[in-house]
Amino acid sequence: MEYSGYGGGYSTTSYGAQGGSGGGGFMNQGSQSSPSANRSHGNDTLRPVTIKQLLDAQQPHPDAEFKIDGAEITQLTFVGQIRSLSSQATHTNYTFDDGTGTIEVKKWIDADAINDMDTDDSKPKLVANTYARVWGRLKAFNNRRNVTAHVVRPITDYNEISYHLLEATVVHLHFTRGPPGTGVATTTNNGGYTEQQNNYGGQQGLLTSMSPAARKVYECIRTSEQSHTGLHCQYIASRIGMELSEVGRAGFELLEMGAIYTTVDDETWAPLDI
Amino acid sequence: MTESTPRITAQFLESFTHQTVRILGKVVQIRGEQATVDAGGEINVILNRDSHLVPNHAVEIIGKVQNDLTVRVLTSTDFGTGIDFAASEAVVDATHRYKEIFYGGDD
Repeated sequence: MEYSGYGGGYSTTSYGAQGGSGGGGFMNQGSQSSPSANRSHGNDTLRPVTIKQLLDAQQPHPDAEFKIDGAEITQLTFVGQIRSLSSQATHTNYTFDDGTGTIEVKKWIDADAINDMDTDDSKPKLVANTYARVWGRLKAFNNRRNVTAHVVRPITDYNEISYHLLEATVVHLHFTRGPPGTGVATTTNNGGYTEQQNNYGGQQGLLTSMSPAARKVYECIRTSEQSHTGLHCQYIASRIGMELSEVGRAGFELLEMGAIYTTVDDETWAPLDI
Repeated sequence: MTESTPRITAQFLESFTHQTVRILGKVVQIRGEQATVDAGGEINVILNRDSHLVPNHAVEIIGKVQNDLTVRVLTSTDFGTGIDFAASEAVVDATHRYKEIFYGGDD
């Protein structure tokens, strides 16, 4: 299937950047860069979740932090559709639906920040049936779960919905299955997850995220007999019958991914086998 | 327990008859009260009075799958023209592959 390349590619598209552009600084600690599965107390992280995960989250005892996939959740973010909303004097209540469930969201009105976002008519407003991204914390009140939001921002690019759901899946798999395969861990943070379950991670994940030319060059470097200094790009070009310039581009792609490394000079490459 | 609306494409229709689902697809044709939407294959949808589909725009439909695999629209949202369908199809795949975080009962 074709989507298997998305893991590597999406992290560099503008969808990711958009999440950061709309709001405060805390968003920069996106959970993809959060370092480990074993978090210590008081370590604030921002986790992308689905609403179903919030409804399924476990609370070991009242007052304890909620846990999803065994990891404590502190700050969280999700994208959903506003089913209903009601404005009160001090706060606004929303019902959010992201297709996996519905949850109440409460946003206190910050009197100090009559923010410029609301005064700009060109931007989408938070009205019923529009999509928005929420940043907040999960709370339990009388056995009802709700989210206290810091920020509720309307979605301007609908691809953010897909982006968010895929990101939530990646993080879920990170916690339930560990980091992606060791061979690719340094290059594509989430590439391995997109694979079929049976070849999860590892070499296949790396291969599928390459362009066809890069794959050809990589196969050649990996399978040809060579000394420890690897192969020169001219040799590769003649061996697989590709233009030298094309081999150069493919080599650059592979170097960027960390699939190969340069040895005696910039044009001599050896496979990076871990 | 709140209700979920799993995201599906055409090939999942049979497994979701009589259920409420979410479909993100491209409007191919509108014929009065019916329309054809392409979401991994063509799907016939039965419109309601409030649904305003625009040809060639992406649309997200929440609807109920009928016996004959048509979808009766409950709500529809216009998603414009900038939708990456490869990404939305990847979401559908993830939805059913890792459904524990998307829909259904206890895993």
